[in-house]
Amino acid sequence: MSLSSIFSKGIWKENPVLRLMLGLCPVLAVTTSVENGLGMGLASTFVLLMSNLIVSLLRNFIPKKVRIPAYIVVIASFVTVVDLVMHGFFYELHKSLGLFIPLIVVNCIILGRAEAFASRNSVLHSLADGLGMGLGFTLSLMVLGGLREVLGSGTLLGWPIMGPNFPPFLVMILPPGAFLGLGFLLAGMNKLEERRAIRAGEAYEPPAEMDCGNCVLCKLDADR
Amino acid sequence: MKEAMNLSLRLALICAVAALALSQVASFTAEPIAAAEYAAKMEAVIAVLPAHDNAPGVDAVDLDARTYYPAMKDGEVVGWAFRGVTQLGYSGEIEVMIGVDAAGAIEGMRILRHAETPGLGSNYAEPAMLADFFGGKTLVATDWRMSKDGGDIDAVTGATVTGRALADAVQNALKQFTEDLPRLAAGEVDA
Repeated sequence: MSLSSIFSKGIWKENPVLRLMLGLCPVLAVTTSVENGLGMGLASTFVLLMSNLIVSLLRNFIPKKVRIPAYIVVIASFVTVVDLVMHGFFYELHKSLGLFIPLIVVNCIILGRAEAFASRNSVLHSLADGLGMGLGFTLSLMVLGGLREVLGSGTLLGWPIMGPNFPPFLVMILPPGAFLGLGFLLAGMNKLEERRAIRAGEAYEPPAEMDCGNCVLCKLDADR
Repeated sequence: MKEAMNLSLRLALICAVAALALSQVASFTAEPIAAAEYAAKMEAVIAVLPAHDNAPGVDAVDLDARTYYPAMKDGEVVGWAFRGVTQLGYSGEIEVMIGVDAAGAIEGMRILRHAETPGLGSNYAEPAMLADFFGGKTLVATDWRMSKDGGDIDAVTGATVTGRALADAVQNALKQFTEDLPRLAAGEVDA
């Protein structure tokens, strides 16, 4: 596969949130505004990029039997770096993302990419994969964050855009709104893909990942 | 056995490198983090105090484990800022910075830390909202219950629990301050 197609698959075709259904915990938790989505997305992208880099570099050094603890150490280290740097230099953002930064460690996109891609591909390919997946994750968070912010607070990036008479749908910035918003996004994504498949004359199957029994983490050993 | 050694060694090596790198990052960011925390706190202190011509952060007085920030004008103490904490929040602890004038009436208030419901309890974080509900209140002349319980404190619709928690934080901090005031006034403050 070429570098550019490895990069771009993460944005649409294998979008980690909307196609692979990975990392839904932070997706649901932080997307109360575009800004939070962007901050969380960029922080995760950095961790993903760095963990893909290190895991790919060490892919012949890390023994198979202890690979998961080794990956977790690498990932947790970069998450700690992000946490410390953000605390020191982006205080306001750190305050609003607060709790969710340490949780990047358990974001299964990152472990999933280390396991499924970086551990068996070259450094350059792994970086392209990390960047593409990271951007796909960031974009999904921003779209969902935008949807929830506009409907739930009547603002976009903090600017009021719905007029003074708009009564905000409070539920959209509360936890149930995250599930509602994500549900609509997934349905929309499926519809678009279905239409594309019909135009191309193919049969369309929704992504198998929508069934949790297909999660990569359940198949870690089957891959080997 | 040999394999176990090999696995442990490699894992230990990875951990050691990670620990070393992290200690570097931690020592590099320690100062900016402390500075950012301090700046955020001082911003709240300045915002809640009446007009002053001193540096409250420099003149701060530590009494037991509590810090009091004096506001001074022409050598006279015109107000104090101090921290209040409550466990009664809708989701966990709430920390506030409270400012009072020389007569002990609330001059300003800021929320330093909270985890209340966005869109409901979090509405209290608006400085104008806080000024509305708590501005001018004093320890003795105020009934610290919510207005719907017959007291003097108004609440945001649908977020009475947070209002009660804030009232609790303010009332307790004011009580403590009133207790400490004689010692503060006894001249532990330098202009």
